[in-house]
Amino acid sequence: MYSYVLKRLLSAIAVLFGASLLVFVLVINSGDPLLELRESNADNVEFLIQQRIDFMNLDQPWYSRYWIWLSGIAGCAVGACDFGTNMSGQDVGAMVANSASSTLRLVFLATILSIIIGILTGIVTAIRQYSSLDYAVSFFVFLFFSLPVFWAAVLAKDWMGITYNNWLREPHFSWTQIFMVAAVAAILVPLIIGGSARRRLLTGAVMFGFVMIAMPLLDSLNYAREPRLGPALITLLGIGLAFGLTALLSGLRNRSVLYSALTVVGLGLVSYYATFWLLIDPPGGWLSIVGLFVVTIAVAVLVGRTMGGHAKGQAVAVSVITASLFAVMVLLDHFMRAWPEFLGMKPRPIATIGSSSPNFSGDFWQVSLDQGTQLILPTTILMLVSVATYTRYTRSSMLEAVNQDYIRTARAKGVNERTVVFKHAFRNSMIPLTTIVAFDFAGLIGGAVVVEQVFGWSGMGNMFVTGLSNADPAPVMAFTLITGAAAVLFNLIADLTYAVLDPRIRV
Amino acid sequence: MKLRKLSAATAILATGALVLSGCTPGGDNDDAEAEETSNGENGGNTDAITAEGQQFTTEPEDTGKADTSDLETMDDEISVSIGETEFISYQGFTPETYSTYNSVVVNRLFDGFGYWGTDNVWYPNEDFGSYEVTSEDPFTVEYTIGEDVSWSDGTPVTVADYVLDWAYQNAELTNSDDEPLFNGISQTYGERVLEGPQGDPEGKTFTIEYTEPFADWEILVGSALPAHVVAEQSDMELDELVTAVREADTEALEPAAEFWNDGWFTDPGEFPDEELIPVTGPYKLDNWQAGESLTITANEEYWGSAPGTERIVYRFVNDGQHVQALENGDLNIARPQATVDTRGQLERLEDDFVLHEGEAATWEHLDFNFNDGAFSDSLELREAFAMCVPRQQIVSNLIEPVNPEASVLNARESLSFEENYEEIVSESYEGTYDEVDVEGAREILEAEDAVGTEVRIGYAGPNPRRTDTVAEIQASCDEAGFEIVDEGSEDFFAPGGALETGDYEVALFAWAGSGQVVSGQNIYSTDRPQNYGGYSNETVDDLFNQLATTEDADEQQEIIIGIEQELWGDLFGIPLYVHPQLSGSDITISNVRDTASQDQIMWNAEQWQRAE
Repeated sequence: MYSYVLKRLLSAIAVLFGASLLVFVLVINSGDPLLELRESNADNVEFLIQQRIDFMNLDQPWYSRYWIWLSGIAGCAVGACDFGTNMSGQDVGAMVANSASSTLRLVFLATILSIIIGILTGIVTAIRQYSSLDYAVSFFVFLFFSLPVFWAAVLAKDWMGITYNNWLREPHFSWTQIFMVAAVAAILVPLIIGGSARRRLLTGAVMFGFVMIAMPLLDSLNYAREPRLGPALITLLGIGLAFGLTALLSGLRNRSVLYSALTVVGLGLVSYYATFWLLIDPPGGWLSIVGLFVVTIAVAVLVGRTMGGHAKGQAVAVSVITASLFAVMVLLDHFMRAWPEFLGMKPRPIATIGSSSPNFSGDFWQVSLDQGTQLILPTTILMLVSVATYTRYTRSSMLEAVNQDYIRTARAKGVNERTVVFKHAFRNSMIPLTTIVAFDFAGLIGGAVVVEQVFGWSGMGNMFVTGLSNADPAPVMAFTLITGAAAVLFNLIADLTYAVLDPRIRV
Repeated sequence: MKLRKLSAATAILATGALVLSGCTPGGDNDDAEAEETSNGENGGNTDAITAEGQQFTTEPEDTGKADTSDLETMDDEISVSIGETEFISYQGFTPETYSTYNSVVVNRLFDGFGYWGTDNVWYPNEDFGSYEVTSEDPFTVEYTIGEDVSWSDGTPVTVADYVLDWAYQNAELTNSDDEPLFNGISQTYGERVLEGPQGDPEGKTFTIEYTEPFADWEILVGSALPAHVVAEQSDMELDELVTAVREADTEALEPAAEFWNDGWFTDPGEFPDEELIPVTGPYKLDNWQAGESLTITANEEYWGSAPGTERIVYRFVNDGQHVQALENGDLNIARPQATVDTRGQLERLEDDFVLHEGEAATWEHLDFNFNDGAFSDSLELREAFAMCVPRQQIVSNLIEPVNPEASVLNARESLSFEENYEEIVSESYEGTYDEVDVEGAREILEAEDAVGTEVRIGYAGPNPRRTDTVAEIQASCDEAGFEIVDEGSEDFFAPGGALETGDYEVALFAWAGSGQVVSGQNIYSTDRPQNYGGYSNETVDDLFNQLATTEDADEQQEIIIGIEQELWGDLFGIPLYVHPQLSGSDITISNVRDTASQDQIMWNAEQWQRAE
């Protein structure tokens, strides 16, 4: 195992070396770093050109420029990386440190969300293969996949940004809007849930009625400006979750699982009040929130193990998921509490540019809301494309698994459909997906180039584009090195995960 | 819609009346000062940019800044973007940091003896100080810094700051390797003024003596960096530093130069320590989010009249994103790409935003290759080519949609928005190439037996507008008997590209005007670095030498007319048009004016104020 990892690492370094050499030569030949000076009308332009030639070593052959760069990078081996300087004399290492955080925030969130959404839709479409839902989802997935990012971004800015902000000044739904949403819900939900024609009709009618009542209600509560959940609603939703998840993962007959989930909900309600004042101004910001989350999971595991009886594993799984979702609702409740005041500070919450508002200061919730609202548009755009890939891959890999002999055997044994789908089919279909996730993460860093440009984020992508357009190698090389390293690293992780998921591939 | 514009005009009048009636004691002063400037030799009366609906607290009288001393700083924030290129450093005088994008910030931090007006003409800044020519031979200028002008840390601005200002431009100060001590942007000052500024280093008055009269003397001395900070950081007394500069004691100067070169450099997102970055201007550096935004706040120790708005936020955003950001309120003032599309988008927003439209100080031209090729030794062929180039059609089709006021450019050393343009053109150009004359061109080609002459037009591509320009030329000149070849390529200017190898007949590109009088010398004089086509004309060489040593504006204009006559006569090249420029600003912000000069719309940021 170790020799395998070592071998992979060594080959990774060789790959990175080759890639860096290739990219370096391509970059320095990609344009003219003196272009702007050649068209300048300043009277000392010759002097300026000479200055830049000296500064960027333009008079030296490519191999010696590469060598200068490489010897700076070689310092990494002894802990003193030198990424070089860009043409304005700025240290590229510091630029990377600055830009990596915003790019990673963007890419990480987009990846996580698209994995969740993509896999869920993939499973649903696979289960309902060749249904109208399957066709509709396929249509939209391909549509999103083929959208040019910069164009989609312009549309998103217009609809989700400018129009939403305008609407938010006096947020009201018209009856036409309410009717449209209700109609869409009445068609979509029965398609997902499925069942006999009568059942579908019934679900559709219920959905229609629900939306027709809920939306005017929210409207009259001025929910868009003063949203709230409150402990009662959270508990109610929590109980719903406990029942739903139990039904989905182990069946309602398994009482010990249901009771452990309900216990978790009860404990959640207690902790809602216990942490309420602590969370008004959480010390350490996200640190304490993550800490509380870890405690929540630990408690949920404990509850599942003690109350689960013979179904410990399922009880733990259901408790943990219930607890996590409950925690998310509590967090959402706190964000909603901060929302009205936040709107006073930032009347147009969805901005079209930047990763945070300049000079914005407020408490933890307000600052997080600011960063969050800035993230919505770019994350959505970045997600559109990768959700498409995840959905398609999950679907086909699920279908492949479902048609295997062991699934037929399981069904023949009388195993219920839920267990067949989640335990036998889904787990096996995860194996090829691991590879996709690994590729996708590195790919998204590259894909973020356009998104960053369009949304005015100063991420890695921006560094890359600016560097390339000036034929300024150092920033481009830093980008190449980091995305390259990420690609290699995630592939390695994927290979190792394979071994965990599939006992047959042990090295 | 008409009603709205009318009411905007009424509003302007009303505001003007309010201002006039509102401050009676200052009113008289205002008028007196206004007269002084309009009597001065500088500047025209009309901006290069028009902006319908723009509100002013004080209506500008010329292309310089209006007097807004009645403004009080409002606790407010205005966001602006001129592009995605980031700020680099407080120290903007090194070749690495000197760029428009750095200057638009730095120029708000330092006041100096003058500034560029909206038509790219130099205005003296009388609040900061004054200067006058005290002797013609040797040419000597005396500068006086205003009594109360001081750095934000309380140190008065003195001659010492200007001694250092000269030192960094003096290539005679070298280190042991014979390289200049200071990594400065320019060396002209040191070459022209050998002894540096003379005067008591702690005083407010200094004189500089030129080796010979110099046409661009006015812009040679502007703002300076804080000498007292440099002295302190290099463990010297301020007078020690001044003495070291004056005695050219390079050894003693080495630590000072080292700090000057590197001391103000920081990683993106961090400023140097606050005591290292005092300012003399209305704003100081406040907050910098690397790659995204930079905020400057009003300098509370400012000696001059208070700026209109407390905080100005520069956002580094790609200009393709500006219009939507304006619409969403993320930007209040922006300078998007000057294209037909952006114009349409901004026009759509005209109820809430002012569209500033006009001309930049960049101009497009066709230059002949005099080194070799068909045009190099045949004036007739150059004339034939000039006759068939459809200049008016190019402007009408490609530029007017963006700037309806655009016209064909008929000069090189003066741009169409400049005050002396009409006069220079009327005396140097007879309208020979106003009309396309395909027949005439054909006759010349036939007489010269040159029908079918291949003309490769080179430019740095991809550039759709230039491709279209070449297509227009092709349609017209092919008919006359030329064979136009589009040679646009990415490496046209690059080493080994067509410009260097000479594989072109005509080069199509733009010069960015600097406002300097003699910058054309590098382009049109024999063997100068920017004379890419290898043009040579003794008369032009002489005239430029003469121009360089002439400081009188009227004489300068006479010489420029002479140069233009020669360049038209020889057909050095064909000027086409001045680049259009578009900006948008929130209609509630007063005093926003776009300019052709390089500070762009930021040039009078201290006058901006949101109407309550």
